[in-house]
Amino acid sequence: MNYNWDWRVFFKPTGIGNEIYLDWFVTGLGWTIALALSAWVIALLLGSLLGVMRTLPGRYAARIAGAYVELFRNVPLLVQLFVWYFIVPDWLPEPLEDWFKQDLHPAISAFISVTICLGLFTAARVCEQVRTGIQALPRGQAMAAYALGLSLPQVYRQVLLPQAFRIIIPPLTSEFLNVFKNSSVASLIGLMELLAQTKQTAEFTANLFEAFTLATLIYFTLNMGLMLFMRWVEKRVRVPGLIALGGK
Amino acid sequence: MIRFSQVNKWYDREHHVLKHISLEVKAGEVVVVCGPSGSGKSTLIRTINQLEPVEEGEIWIGDVQVNNPRTNINRVRENVGFVFQHFNLYPHLSVLENITLAPMQVKKLSRAAAEERAIALLIKVGLAHKKDAYPANLSGGQQQRVAIARGLAMEPKVMLFDEPTSALDPEMIGEVLKVMQDLAESGMTMMVVTHEMGFAREVADRVLFLDHGEILEDTTPEAFFTNPQHDRARQFLKQVLAPMHG
Repeated sequence: MNYNWDWRVFFKPTGIGNEIYLDWFVTGLGWTIALALSAWVIALLLGSLLGVMRTLPGRYAARIAGAYVELFRNVPLLVQLFVWYFIVPDWLPEPLEDWFKQDLHPAISAFISVTICLGLFTAARVCEQVRTGIQALPRGQAMAAYALGLSLPQVYRQVLLPQAFRIIIPPLTSEFLNVFKNSSVASLIGLMELLAQTKQTAEFTANLFEAFTLATLIYFTLNMGLMLFMRWVEKRVRVPGLIALGGK
Repeated sequence: MIRFSQVNKWYDREHHVLKHISLEVKAGEVVVVCGPSGSGKSTLIRTINQLEPVEEGEIWIGDVQVNNPRTNINRVRENVGFVFQHFNLYPHLSVLENITLAPMQVKKLSRAAAEERAIALLIKVGLAHKKDAYPANLSGGQQQRVAIARGLAMEPKVMLFDEPTSALDPEMIGEVLKVMQDLAESGMTMMVVTHEMGFAREVADRVLFLDHGEILEDTTPEAFFTNPQHDRARQFLKQVLAPMHG
C-alpha cells in the first residue's frame, strides 16, 4: 500500500476560528466521556433497582423487571436511539415538544436522547448482573438477617447488595466499558462526540488513516484506564481472607 | 413462653411435615428436640420465628401470636435469637460488625453502645481477641460462637438452635456446647435441635422426640434415655448412642 502518513495533520488549523484538528478530538472526547458517565449513572441506579425487583418475593415486581429486560435487550441499540430521538419527542406535550425541538441547542437535545437511550439500554444489562449476584449468595445470608429482625430493605442494603456487588464487579466492568464504546452511536444523530469528530476530520483533511488511528488509540487508552481503575476498586473492596464469595 | 396449639404444616400441599403439634416451653426452660433426619425438627423450630410459615394452628411467644398476619414479624424476631447449622455469618463484615449490625439497624443503638455490648458478649464466648477478624479467617467453632454472640446482642427472650454443632469438626463441638451450657445456666429459654445426646442429658430440662412430623416423646432426659415409650425412639437412641459406647 502506498500511503503517505502525515501525523502533523492534527496540528494544522481547521480554518474555523483558531482551532487545530487536535482540538476537535479533545472536544469529541469530552462529549464521549460526558455521555458515557451520565448514561452509566442512569444504568447503575435503574439497573440495580430492577435487579433487586427480579429477586423480590412478590411476583409482580419480578415480572415488571423481567419484561423491561426482554424489551430493552431484544431491540438493537440503534433502533432504540432512533426511537428516542425521532419518535418520542413527537409524543411529548406540545410546549415540551417545542422546547425540545426548537429552543434547545441541537447538541443538547441529541445529548439528552442518547443519554436516556444508552442509560435505559445498559440498565437492562446491569439488572441481569445484579440479579445474578444476589442469587449467587447462599440462602442462609438473607435468612440470618431476617431472623435478627431486619426489614426487607435492610436485608438488601446491609447484607445482600454489599456482597452481590463485590461478586459482579468483573462483569459490571465490562458493561461500564460497553457504555463508552456504545456512546459512539451518538454520531449518527449528529452529536459531535469522538467518532463524529474523527469522521469530520477525515473528510476535511483526507487523512482518513491518521484520524481513525488516533480515534482507535484514544478509545483503547480510555477503556484500558477504566479497566485498571475498576481492578483497583475490586482490590480495595475485597473482603480479607475471602477469595470468592458465594457458592457455599 | 412458647406455645404451639394444633399446628399443621405441609410442603407443596401434600407432604405433611408437622402433624398436630401442641407443646409449651416455659420461661427459663431448655428443651432439646431430637429425631431422625427428615422428622421435621428443624422445620418445627423455624416456625417459631416464621422462617417457615404454617398452614394451621397457632404459635405464640408470650402474648403475641407469631403466625397472625397482623403481627409485625420483625418485632417478634428481634426477641428470638436463632443459631443456624451453617453459622451464616456475613462474610463481608468483621466479627464486631456482624454482632453490631442488627442492634444498630433494628434497635437503633448508637455504634458505641452496640460495640460495648458486642465486646462484652465476645468476652463471654471467649473471642474478644478476634473482634476485627473476618468470618473466613475463623474456624467453624469460632464462627458458631460469634453467631451465638450475634443472636444474644439483640437481648432475646428465647434462643433457638438448629443443629448448631452438626457442621463442626469433632474437636470444635465442645467449645460451642460449653457456650450453650453457660447460656442455659444463666436462665435463657432455649430450644435446641441436636444429636448431641450428652448435652441433652446434662443440660436439657426436657427432651422432645419427633418422627414423621409428630411429637412421640415429651419428657425429662432421665425418662427419655432410660425408658423411652415408643419403639422408634428406642431405635433412634440405639443408633445415636452406639458410637459413643463402641
